[in-house]
Amino acid sequence: MSWWNTWLAEPLSSEFMVRALIATVALSVAAPLAGVWIVSRRMVYLADAMSHSMLAGVAGAAILGGSLLVGGLVSALVLALAVSWLVTKARATEDGAIGVAGQALFALGIIGVSYQQDPRALSHVLFGNPLTVTWRDVAVDVVLASLVIVGLVLAKPLLIATTFDPQHARTVGIRVGVVDVLLLTALAVIVVVGLVTVGVLMAITLTVAPAVAARMASDRLDSVLFVSAVLGLVAGIGGLFVSYHASLPTGPAVALAATLTVVGAYFFRRLRRGVSRAASRHTHSETMVRS
Amino acid sequence: MRGTALQANDLTVMYGSRCGVQGIDLTLSVGEGVALIGRNGAGKSSLLRALAGLEPGSSGSVLLHGQTPLSKGVAGGLAYVPQRAQVRWDLPFSVIDVVLTGRYRTRRRSFRWSSNDRRTARDALYLVDASDLEHRSIGQISGGQAQRVLLARALVQEPEVMLLDEPFAGLDTAAVDRVAEVVESLMGRGIGVMCALHELDLARRLFPRAIALQDGRLLMDGSINSVLSPHGIEQIFTVSSATS
Repeated sequence: MSWWNTWLAEPLSSEFMVRALIATVALSVAAPLAGVWIVSRRMVYLADAMSHSMLAGVAGAAILGGSLLVGGLVSALVLALAVSWLVTKARATEDGAIGVAGQALFALGIIGVSYQQDPRALSHVLFGNPLTVTWRDVAVDVVLASLVIVGLVLAKPLLIATTFDPQHARTVGIRVGVVDVLLLTALAVIVVVGLVTVGVLMAITLTVAPAVAARMASDRLDSVLFVSAVLGLVAGIGGLFVSYHASLPTGPAVALAATLTVVGAYFFRRLRRGVSRAASRHTHSETMVRS
Repeated sequence: MRGTALQANDLTVMYGSRCGVQGIDLTLSVGEGVALIGRNGAGKSSLLRALAGLEPGSSGSVLLHGQTPLSKGVAGGLAYVPQRAQVRWDLPFSVIDVVLTGRYRTRRRSFRWSSNDRRTARDALYLVDASDLEHRSIGQISGGQAQRVLLARALVQEPEVMLLDEPFAGLDTAAVDRVAEVVESLMGRGIGVMCALHELDLARRLFPRAIALQDGRLLMDGSINSVLSPHGIEQIFTVSSATS
């Protein structure tokens, strides 16, 4: 079992890797579960803009000496309000509003980072760095991720109704706007959870890619949710250990691992179709022989 | 004589400065079937959506058994069935998932569907002849099956009035016949049905009464034969000076 010692046991002998692993596991389950709904509701662009916009709040909080988590959440809220204003008051298209507001906040974030004495100090916010994860971060991440997971499980009927047909959902008394806000809040929390481990930019890949892969593998909701969480775990843990051994930045390594789950799902689907066709041909030929 | 189930007074829908529906008064009796006829853009969908409380720019009143619906957008006893194309069918949901969404109003602070909700959903699927679709993915059903699933979702709301927006559009003959049977059975169960449709022969077959709209205004309201007489059809489908 030398590979076990080399690949898993040895890294975990360092306490910082244990902390990073726990935080990554929390993120890797919560993010894809939210991602299934984000992808189903075609909100990926908004999610991506939200992750970029959070740099503004994080940089602002760093300058003011405040909490990076709170700063990130505030900038996510500012993005949501700006998009809402541009769509309802300025009559901008939704994707146009997201593009403008998201990029503006991202630009503000970059300017904020440049004001740091050492601009590299915030690079872990963008791309993640397991060395920076504290036990306090782990506790906050696990609590927030658990809240998101429980919330998403409980809200499943509401999410089905508002995703399938939001207009009908209104006629049966569902406050569709409130559900939208809660889902976006869950997404903002996930990006914040991912901030210290994989970074704000890469947390979205871990949200979206396993969900896309799971959807390619199944069209049953419970299967899609389960498979997305499993693929998220594989990508999160796999990416973390690869980044350790190959001395790669953690966020991009996890993001690439998450992307590979989509490639894997594609080949899985092709294989399943091939097997299905072969079985169908076999049954057909047997029927012909008997007749 | 059957009582009035649905009554609308001076119903108006504005889209900015454009008028979608203008000052419409109408009634629908218990278990009555009414065809809503008109050219594209005549205001059929806007009227149905306004009756369901889905048009934020609407004014006038909608009464169900003489009572004002609970609040804006929450019309108890009214079930609205949108056009199939307005709904997402590419999602990883099963048919029973979708039908159960119609039961939301009956839930009592519970995050799970009760066995009663599930039984009601299965009964509704049976009534629309779609029991075999219960666990099928919505992405794998045909247009006619999808339409019956939407009708089942409306049925689990246990409505007194159903508002159907072009349920026959894009269906082949066999699917039209099956959906038509379901609509007939709804009226047989005492549910009032107001149905927007373009298929005039089908309207004659299914509904004893018709309402014709033109440019958002009520053009005719009477027996199906009078509204769909040659003269009536000419009036309904003639492009008015307002739209030309």
